[in-house]
This record gives sequence, structure tokens and C-alpha cells, in this order.
Amino acid sequence: MNAFLARNRLVVLAYVGMFVLLAVTAFFSPGFLSESNLRSSIVLAAFVGIVAFGQTFVIVGGGIDLSVPWVLNSAAILMAAFTGGHDLPLLWVAPLLLVAGGLIGFINGFGVAVFGVPAIIMTLAANVVLQGLIVIYTGGVPPPTAPGLIRYLSVGHVGPIPVIGVIWAVLAIAASLLMSKTAFGRYLYAVGSSTTVAEFSGVPTARTTISTYVLSGVTAALAGILLTGYSGQAYLGMGDPYLFTSIAAVAIGGASILGGTGHYIGTIAGALVLTILAGLLPALGLSTGALMVVYGGVILVTVSLSSDAFVGVWRLVSQWRAAAQR
Amino acid sequence: MASTPAARDGVSGFGAMWVRWLDRAPFLVALLILLVIVAIRSRLESGVLTLDELNVDTASGLTLMLAATGQTIVLLRGGIDLSIGGIISLGTVLAATHFGSDPVSVGAWSLAILAFGFGAGALNGLLISVLRLQPFLVTLAAWSIFTGIATMILPTDGGSVPEWWTRFGYATLLGLSGPVWVLLGLILFWYWFRATRLGIVIQATGSNERSAILSGVSLIRVNIATYGLSGLFAAAAALYLTTQTGTGSPLIGRDYILPSVAAAVVGGISLFGGRGNLVGTLIGAFILTIIGDLVFALHVSSYWQPVLSGLILLVAVLVSSLTEKSARRQSQ
Repeated sequence: MNAFLARNRLVVLAYVGMFVLLAVTAFFSPGFLSESNLRSSIVLAAFVGIVAFGQTFVIVGGGIDLSVPWVLNSAAILMAAFTGGHDLPLLWVAPLLLVAGGLIGFINGFGVAVFGVPAIIMTLAANVVLQGLIVIYTGGVPPPTAPGLIRYLSVGHVGPIPVIGVIWAVLAIAASLLMSKTAFGRYLYAVGSSTTVAEFSGVPTARTTISTYVLSGVTAALAGILLTGYSGQAYLGMGDPYLFTSIAAVAIGGASILGGTGHYIGTIAGALVLTILAGLLPALGLSTGALMVVYGGVILVTVSLSSDAFVGVWRLVSQWRAAAQR
Repeated sequence: MASTPAARDGVSGFGAMWVRWLDRAPFLVALLILLVIVAIRSRLESGVLTLDELNVDTASGLTLMLAATGQTIVLLRGGIDLSIGGIISLGTVLAATHFGSDPVSVGAWSLAILAFGFGAGALNGLLISVLRLQPFLVTLAAWSIFTGIATMILPTDGGSVPEWWTRFGYATLLGLSGPVWVLLGLILFWYWFRATRLGIVIQATGSNERSAILSGVSLIRVNIATYGLSGLFAAAAALYLTTQTGTGSPLIGRDYILPSVAAAVVGGISLFGGRGNLVGTLIGAFILTIIGDLVFALHVSSYWQPVLSGLILLVAVLVSSLTEKSARRQSQ
């Protein structure tokens, strides 16, 4: 645990920031801490968190996935279209779409790992092609509404706990185990730090990189399916906000965009920070424009804290702590 | 200076010739794609190979060309600039809310917007070098901030520019429209700029940062100039965009961020820095602009446009990645 904290002090910082923010929000808008409001905040954060699941793996592995908006959007539209609003077809539709999302991820990862295509371009092209194909498929007409089961999974709750919160918690545990306890996790950090060094150390680099994009495709598709339940129906462009928020959540959670560092535990805090801010600013009477300015500022501050310029500060902090322990 | 890997690495004879061709392959592929599109269109439609058509196509593509020019300079440096989206949005909003009807006010505010663009970009460059931050996240944050400010000034599309300002796209001189003259200006700019001290230093730093530092290049100055120029061109794109739309749009810049990178990549600019030619980028932007016309000429759904641009992007980047690998192997 101590080793985890030493390697991930930015993760700790993200949580400190989140709790400070929560306190400030509770001060300015006491209603924020009500049960129903907290629940809806967790629901909103969960969508960011689920998309950011795959994005975290991709970024820690040294890549980036710009294809999440239309993987999400495609899954949402195809789910609504294939099920026709009924629960039973979900039995084959949901697995099919998750596999399809994984397949898009595989294509992305293959281009990046095998052909050496820059991740930005590979995933951007996938995004644009998917966007075109799905709009051609729908002909611009929105498909029918979401099945009842999906609506239950995204907005329903068991007692005080939202169902999607449970899904998110399960995913969080899975991500933590994958990153901290498996060989894949060790390979991931090795590839993210230096593909060349990892390659020479016998790490299956291509397989590891491809796996991260597959994970990202699957979680983006999952988020799309669930988000349809939240909004009641699938619509074109519903995935667009999640490109920025998924990357921002990972960055605020303390991962380096260069790869090799970061953890999904931090991304959770990142997703919560983004959601709390979105609730706080309207309470202060500020517009969405101000929210974007604050988002940008928060990203700048977080990445500054992880920069080399602050290495000296961190060293001082650890010396001071060592002295305090003696 | 840094024109081909062969020259850099001192390979001679057949190998050098091969490497030089590999180096130019992405640019030639872009040219080929352009010729194929134009050929298909001119078989299906009449009036494709006319000055009028050139004027119209350039007018609709010039915003992307200007944005992609700045992006190209940053990519040559080995970075990326996502903030241009915010600078373009804020630029159109400032123009639409502050332009008076007289040329003096328009001229003064145009200069102010260009200065803002340069300053905003220079700030990116400063943060990137002083705090040693990643360009991707710094410019992403800057995009968010500038878009936010634009939204605070103008929550939805609005404002206006003088009527005479919007005639720029149709004004012609010697048969060529204003946008075509700007395009020619960009090409001239490139052949001048790449031989200037700054141009050489930017490309050298992009192709090998460590050896550039060792030969006395100041990273702070290079970054400020690189990102400053990118911001300047983004502001110019914003000004041109207002001549087309006549309004300020707080979110419109988003439509140019990734397409500007795509135009550069289609034109053979390497994302690993130091390699490419702005003329390639301009061809890339031209291709991405006229794909819509091609789809129209083929009588298929206009929704095929993004699919086709995505596929062209993939082909271009594959050629670029594979030749880069091959060239590196040859020169080793």
C-alpha cells in the first residue's frame, strides 16, 4: 500500500482535491449532498468513468483513443435499433455490440502496434469512418427508445445505491486487479514507459498494446448501451462530449499522457471532480463557458504538478516527512 | 539542411536515391489522390477544370488550410496544437462582437485578434517549455479555456461583421479570388519560411531535439515561436471564417482541430516531427475539402463523405508509416 502511494502521489492528490471540492460545493449549495442529488451525480460520473476505463489503459500504455465518441454512439444506436425497445433481444445484442466494440479496438491497436501508425491518427480515422457508416445506416433518423432493462441499469437504484454505481464499482475492482496484480498490468506499465526497453525485456508489446485498445472499444460500447437508458433514446452526437471528459478524467487522475504512470483509482477521482464541478458552477451562478474555463485550468494545474519542474518540491515534501518520522 | 534522411545520414549511391524517394512518397501519394479525385469529378461533371471551380473550392477550404498551416509548423517541431479550436472560436466571436462598419475599426480589431492568436499560442509554448509539459494536454486545456471564454462572450452563434467584409471570398483580381491569392501567399510563405533561420531551427528541433539543444538551440524560444505562429494562423483562419459565415460561433473551432492534423498527415507531414512540406498539407486540406463534391458527383448519400475522408487518411498514414520505417532501415 505504501509503495502504491509513493508511486501514485498524484492519485492521492486527486482524491484530496475531490474532497475539498465536495466540501466547497456542500458549503455553497447545501442541497448538493442530498441523497437524490448525490445519486444523480454518481450516475453522471459513472458514464465518464466507464468510458475512461479503457482510456486509462490506453493512455498508461502510451497511446490515446480518439475513437470513443463514435464507438459509444454506434453501440447506442445499434442497441436501440436491434432490440426495438424490447428486453429479450438484449441477450444477443449486448454481447454482440461489446464484441464489435472490441473489434474496433483491435483494428486500432493493430494499426498502432503492428504498422506503427500514430495512435492519434489511427483512432481519429476509425472515429470518422464509424461516424459516417452509422449515419448512413440510420439515414439520419433516430432509432426507437431504449429497452426497460437498460433504463433500469442506468437510472434505477437498489435502496439508496444506483445500479450503475454498482456496475462502476465492479469495473473499478476489475481495473485495479488488472493493473496491480496481473502480468498484463506489469507489461502495460513497461510498454507505456518504453516500448523498446519492454520489447528487449521479452514483454509481448504488440499484444499488450492491442489489448488496451480492445478494452477501450468494449468499455466505450458498454457506456453507449447504458447511456441510451439514461437519455431514453439513442441520438447522433451523444458520444461527442466523452472524448474530452474521458481524457480529462485520466489526466486529472494523475496519469502521464506519455504513458507508464497512472492508475484507474485516480481516474475515478478525475471523473468525480469533473462531475462535481459541473454541479458546483451553476450553484455559483456561472455559465457553461465558465465551466470549460475551470476544466482547462484544472487540467493545467494537474499536469503542472506532475511535471519535472515540481520534482524539487516533491523531494522536499518527502524529506520533510522522513524527518517527521524520525 | 535536414531535407532528407539521406543527406542527414550520409548514405550515398542507390540507397540514397531510394531513401530520397521514400521520403517523398507520402507527398506524391497526396498528389496522386488529388489527381484521381479531380479526374473522376471531371469525367462525371462539366466545369471542374475551370478557374471558377478553383475559386469556389479554395473559398470553402481556406479556413482549414490556414488552420492546417499553423498545425504543420507545430507538427514539424514534433508537437501538436489542439488549442487552435479555441483560438478560432474566440477569434470569430471577438470579430463578430467588435467589428464596426468602417475599415479602420475592422483593421484595428483584425490586428488585435491576430495579436491575441500569437500571444495565446506563445503562452502555450512558454508553458510547454518552462514547466516541461506535454503539448497535447497543455493545448487541450487551452482549447477548453478559450472555448469557455468565447461561450461566455457569446453563448450562441451571433454578432455580425460589415457586409463589405463578407465579400472577400467573391472579390477577384486577375480572375483569381481573394482566397486563391491567400493560398498562393501561403505557398510563397512556405518556400521563404523553411529557409529562414527559424524555419530551419524548428525542423531541426523536430527531427532531433537533443542534437538541436547540443548545437545551442533555445527550446523556450523555439516553442514560443512555433506555437505562437500556430496561434497566429488560427486567428487568421478565424478572420477568414467570419468573411464566410458573417457571424461569431463560440464552438465552431472544434470542427478544425483534428481535420487540421488530418490535412497535414494526408499531405505527408510526419507526426514524429522534422519531416514534411507545407504544400503537401495544403494539398491534403484541398483533398478533404473537395471530397464532399466528389461524393455529390458520384450521386451517393452525402454521409459517405466522412467515411471516404477517414479511408484516405488511413491510406496516407499507412504509406507514411511504412516508408518511414523502410527509410530508417535503409539509412542504418
